[in-house]
Amino acid sequence: MVNYPHHPASFRDPSGFVFRANDGFYRQVNPSYAEDYECLMNSGLYRALTEKGLLIPHTEIPENLSGSPDWYKTLHPLQLPFISYAYEWSFDQLRDAALLTLRIMGMAMDHGMILKDATPFNIQFHKGKPVFIDTLSFEKHVVTRPWVAYRQFCECFLYPLYLEHYKGLGPQKILTAWPEGIPAGVTAGLLPLKSCLNVGVWMHIRLQNMIGPGAGQRSRGQRKGAQEVSSEGKAGTGQGGFSQQKLRHLVQNLETIVKGLRPKAATNSTWNNYYGTTILSRDYLDEKTKIFRQFIGSIPFTSALDIGSNEGFFSRILAEKNVRVLAVDSDPACIADLYRTVREKNIPNILPLCIDLSNPSPAIGFRNAERSSFTERARAELVIALALVHHLVLTKNIPFADIADYLTSLTTDYLIIEFVPLEDEKAQELIRNKETFHKPYDAASFKEQLARHFSIEREAPVPGTARILFLMKKREA
Amino acid sequence: MQSHLLYIDPGSGSYLVQVIIAAILGALFYFKSLWWKIKSFFTKNKKDDRAENDQDHG
Repeated sequence: MVNYPHHPASFRDPSGFVFRANDGFYRQVNPSYAEDYECLMNSGLYRALTEKGLLIPHTEIPENLSGSPDWYKTLHPLQLPFISYAYEWSFDQLRDAALLTLRIMGMAMDHGMILKDATPFNIQFHKGKPVFIDTLSFEKHVVTRPWVAYRQFCECFLYPLYLEHYKGLGPQKILTAWPEGIPAGVTAGLLPLKSCLNVGVWMHIRLQNMIGPGAGQRSRGQRKGAQEVSSEGKAGTGQGGFSQQKLRHLVQNLETIVKGLRPKAATNSTWNNYYGTTILSRDYLDEKTKIFRQFIGSIPFTSALDIGSNEGFFSRILAEKNVRVLAVDSDPACIADLYRTVREKNIPNILPLCIDLSNPSPAIGFRNAERSSFTERARAELVIALALVHHLVLTKNIPFADIADYLTSLTTDYLIIEFVPLEDEKAQELIRNKETFHKPYDAASFKEQLARHFSIEREAPVPGTARILFLMKKREA
Repeated sequence: MQSHLLYIDPGSGSYLVQVIIAAILGALFYFKSLWWKIKSFFTKNKKDDRAENDQDHG
């Protein structure tokens, strides 16, 4: 009897599956993967990877928990508090995930194994660093075969990084449109002419585009060649095929390329350096920080969600309280900055993600159940929305009532929210050439709508401005 | 007419690409290491000369 069905995202790999039991997530290993699993555990690879924090550690449970008849082992991996997806990551996060994949591939080769797939869905951010979570992605290396996951690596990591590097097309948009990787042909069409001079682009994109499946009809000889190589690889005869050394060159080459790629958009972002130059004044920030510290000092919470986090000034204050902080902003450059800060200053409890509150990540994949929406995943005991509401109402035309409803679904207990009145200079900027927005836009209607779901615990005007900070507690449903 | 192509192993294209790339990288690696050998041959000699000169002056 099957006790627990597989997780809706864990059905593709016949080697095993993830399922959720009462006390958390488990991973089952099927008998077909037994040999590779034992090789991972006994070759020293598992130990080497987990000691360096590159692979998620697990303990073996000597029990068929799932109840599936096709059972070899049950693994209980370290439980992660939050799952994010590559289309929510900044450029640097995707690049670090790519480098992690290549590093693990290199270490696997040292132990006679390889990665059989290379997708960002196998990676999660935990304590500020990327970690590989798919324990069943390793297989024994047949030295005469090229890398089976090479194309996937290119489409999921390399091409989105190249497109940002050359064109400033954010990897978030690219991977939202192509969650399983953008094809070489589309990438080649989007890259500028000058990229033709780059050897890496030529080898990994243009060449692949010329010889990819379906491109074989251009030349009989080419297709014949492709099939020959494929059958040689599989048969393992090795004549004109591959070798360990060649694979190492390939992996090293990819690593060199990925390390050299930089975000193009970073220099012209809207919100980047907001606190440095754009913000009203230093006094305003000091006063706001003082009130904010008083608010968070007066309530108990273990998790926080900072929406419209910008570069994470307030997320970092929250992080000082040793709570888990999810910092989201629609500007990838801000999130990239925050991620770099988190990495450099080693702040393990902030996870920065690129999320546009007016269009958060949807539920996607088979049955719309493989990757859940941001709204389904983002739950926190405290939600903070500072200097955000005027953007949602005045720019995005979202009424107060709808904002209040949405915030209610995000927080389990508390809300700290800032109201920016119409006379504020930043609000004036937003309506300078705009007459159509939901009215009345004032503190009274703001409070009225939020009071439907929250009780207002504290209300503090920010001295020197007309802005107001509120601490609210969610009403019992 | 071209639907049969859908049934070609989707990996086959990337296998050929990898064989070609590996050949290019192998050649580059070969020339690079040759270059380093030549370079180190001369720089080593130079260093030796300098070391000898230093000794002379010392």
